[in-house]
Amino acid sequence: MYKWYALKRILKGVVMYALLIFTFSLLFNTVAENTLKGQIEEQVRQESMRFKNLQAEQLRLKQIERRIQLYHLYRLDRSWTERVVFRALDTLTFKFGKSTIIKTQRGEREVIKIIGEALPRSMLLFTTTIVLEIFFGIWLGLKKAQKPGGPLDKSTSFITMVVYGLPSWWLGMMLIMILVYGVNLFPSGGLHSVPTPGGIRKVLDLLWHMVLPMLTLFLIGFWSLGFVVRNIVLGVLQEDYIMSARARGIPENKVLFGHTMRTSAPPLVTMALLSLLASISGSIIFEGIFSWPGLGNLYWIAIQQNDIPVLLANLAVTTGIYQAGLVFLDLIYGFLDPRIKIGGKA
Amino acid sequence: MKLMDVTYRFREFWEEFRKEKNGLVGLGILGIAMLAVLAEPILLPFPEAGSRWRDITYWQDNSASAPPAWTNFFTSKKSAVSRVLSNPAVEETGPSERTYAFEYDYRFNGPPNDFILRGRGSGTLPLTVTGFRPDGLSVEVVRYVLSGLSDEPFRLSLGNEGRSNAMEFLKGWERRKNAPQIATMRYGVTDILFSQAQPDFVKGPVPLDGRYRIEVRAGFTDSGAAVDSIELAVVGRVSGVLGTDSMKRDIFSGVVAGMKWALLIGLLTSVISVLVGVFYGITSAYFGSRVDSIMMLVFDYFISLPVLPILIVFSAIYKPSIWTIIAALIVFSWVGPVKTVRSMALQIKEETFIEAARALGSGHRRIIFRHMAPLLIPYSFASMALAVPGAIVYEASVSLLGLGDATIVTWGQILHDALGSGAVLNGLWWWVVPPGLLIAVMGMTFAFLGFAMDKILHPKLKTR
Repeated sequence: MYKWYALKRILKGVVMYALLIFTFSLLFNTVAENTLKGQIEEQVRQESMRFKNLQAEQLRLKQIERRIQLYHLYRLDRSWTERVVFRALDTLTFKFGKSTIIKTQRGEREVIKIIGEALPRSMLLFTTTIVLEIFFGIWLGLKKAQKPGGPLDKSTSFITMVVYGLPSWWLGMMLIMILVYGVNLFPSGGLHSVPTPGGIRKVLDLLWHMVLPMLTLFLIGFWSLGFVVRNIVLGVLQEDYIMSARARGIPENKVLFGHTMRTSAPPLVTMALLSLLASISGSIIFEGIFSWPGLGNLYWIAIQQNDIPVLLANLAVTTGIYQAGLVFLDLIYGFLDPRIKIGGKA
Repeated sequence: MKLMDVTYRFREFWEEFRKEKNGLVGLGILGIAMLAVLAEPILLPFPEAGSRWRDITYWQDNSASAPPAWTNFFTSKKSAVSRVLSNPAVEETGPSERTYAFEYDYRFNGPPNDFILRGRGSGTLPLTVTGFRPDGLSVEVVRYVLSGLSDEPFRLSLGNEGRSNAMEFLKGWERRKNAPQIATMRYGVTDILFSQAQPDFVKGPVPLDGRYRIEVRAGFTDSGAAVDSIELAVVGRVSGVLGTDSMKRDIFSGVVAGMKWALLIGLLTSVISVLVGVFYGITSAYFGSRVDSIMMLVFDYFISLPVLPILIVFSAIYKPSIWTIIAALIVFSWVGPVKTVRSMALQIKEETFIEAARALGSGHRRIIFRHMAPLLIPYSFASMALAVPGAIVYEASVSLLGLGDATIVTWGQILHDALGSGAVLNGLWWWVVPPGLLIAVMGMTFAFLGFAMDKILHPKLKTR
């Protein structure tokens, strides 16, 4: 049953995510604790400002007492194993603590809010690009598969190979250099112009800022997606029932979109989403080039400011999105593939 | 498998590969890249570029942010090219005086930024530098005494030391009424030295073409005085094959020195990780049942790691060396071929020759290494080639964030510096284009190779 398949897959995803977070906590526990200790010191110092009338000795005792309190609160007085486990649990329940430097636009220092601010912006950019890429990629792939070895197929396959190792961020740099500082067609980066216009103009302004990053991702992803689609569709087009459909005089477009697409949908969707997922995880730093204030840009800032809590939380969230993407992919596959839907072995 | 089999299969493969034009192009570019790595000592204009990339003193005699020398072909205003004048004509001009004469042929519109006199010296050395111009005039640019040297390198910037003398020279023929302008505009020594001596210089200097002679007179009155390997560096406005960056580093040297690292990262990562992946897949398929389930669980764990984010955070926290980065890349990317190899191995496992081998008493290891692996490894060659660009781009991405190994120079690091110094903003294309283009070309090369091999080894993808 699909229900059980889905449940099983989601559970597996959750367990995997927990395992990954546990690994991170194992790898990065020391540095996270050092940052936390630094933050506690800062807090103790600030609090002791209030006790100006106390004598030096009393103040010192009070500070030590407070430090012990805070260490206990943050479980820094436990054994190493416990600390690692608790860190993993905290991350799993999204208790990321406070950042050291980075703030949200409103000035909040909770890491979860910083990430919450960046996440929708990344989502906006990447989902729009993905939709565009899938649409044009499938169209290109089908056209390529129709006449394999033809001029369109050959030329686009050649481009696929040419852009195979092209870093998206470098293409972004080039496009900025030409289209922004050379011709001055687009803004150099960011989400909105300063000052931000109101009403419908605000949306248009946002779209105008999105064009260049989207174009960059599209120019790289589009070809390879078309290539993947071509290979899958080509396999299906060699089947007998396609030939019989053509022989019956069914219009070519109907054969392509009706008959071929139905069979090749499951692997198509999987491959397309998988390649896109990989490309997104790869172009995470690409946002920094365009100063697009999403999760990728947050990596740049967190590294520049050496803000460890934000860096680690960002990693946890990115991993979570990636994991969710993998689960989602399998769910779609299962949904499209009748063998799983009816209840064969998953 | 015997050697004859290997050569036979290779020849068979080569017969097919020869027909793939793209594959041959890829092979050609790879060959050129390999040659460039081997010929690095000959190719590098700055031999220590790789090891002293971040040493400012090594690059101090270059000009900053200079475009490539060949840009002169595309502009009407030619700029002086950076070069080093060595082997001066030596002449004994007095009882304890020697003259070193440098000939400089100047046919440009934009004079050099500076001249650097350098060499090794000992003792106390009075130096006088005089410039003889094609129009017969001469300027005593610098009078300087080097002292307290003991076979040490010395360095004298004529642009810094000769300013007042050049100003005097300028005042000799410029109109008196322009004097205030001269004082405020602060012309460089070379601007004055390479311009025609005619009034109204301040309205726009007119370049004076011709052969210049720069004489360095050194006095040897001090008994221990000696001078050696004296040369004059012309700090031009355009420089080298690919220009310089804002830290005066020669970009061509950096790019060539980065080539070996790119190839090393790419090839080492892909070969090791694909081999690990192939054997992992075979083992998992061969043993089946419980071993298979456990191995697939581990595989699932590794496949759900988002490579780049983890690599970035890891590098930010542990500041790894290039070897650690390669090791980390291998840990992340061995999962690539596992799924395909496993499904192929599952088929091979059921073949009769495996059964026969088992019946003859072959051990597990023998079956895996002698019977299954030789059939599957050729398929992994395509995966190896296709895994190279990814590894190169990953390292470049980490370096772009400034987290690379600081003891070497890679293309990503050059781009990091370019981004940090606003090369994109200021249009210093010779700094941004070459490293990125080379990453892209390397990716293309291995894509050509990989796709060509894929086509031969998986005939299903062949176009009808």
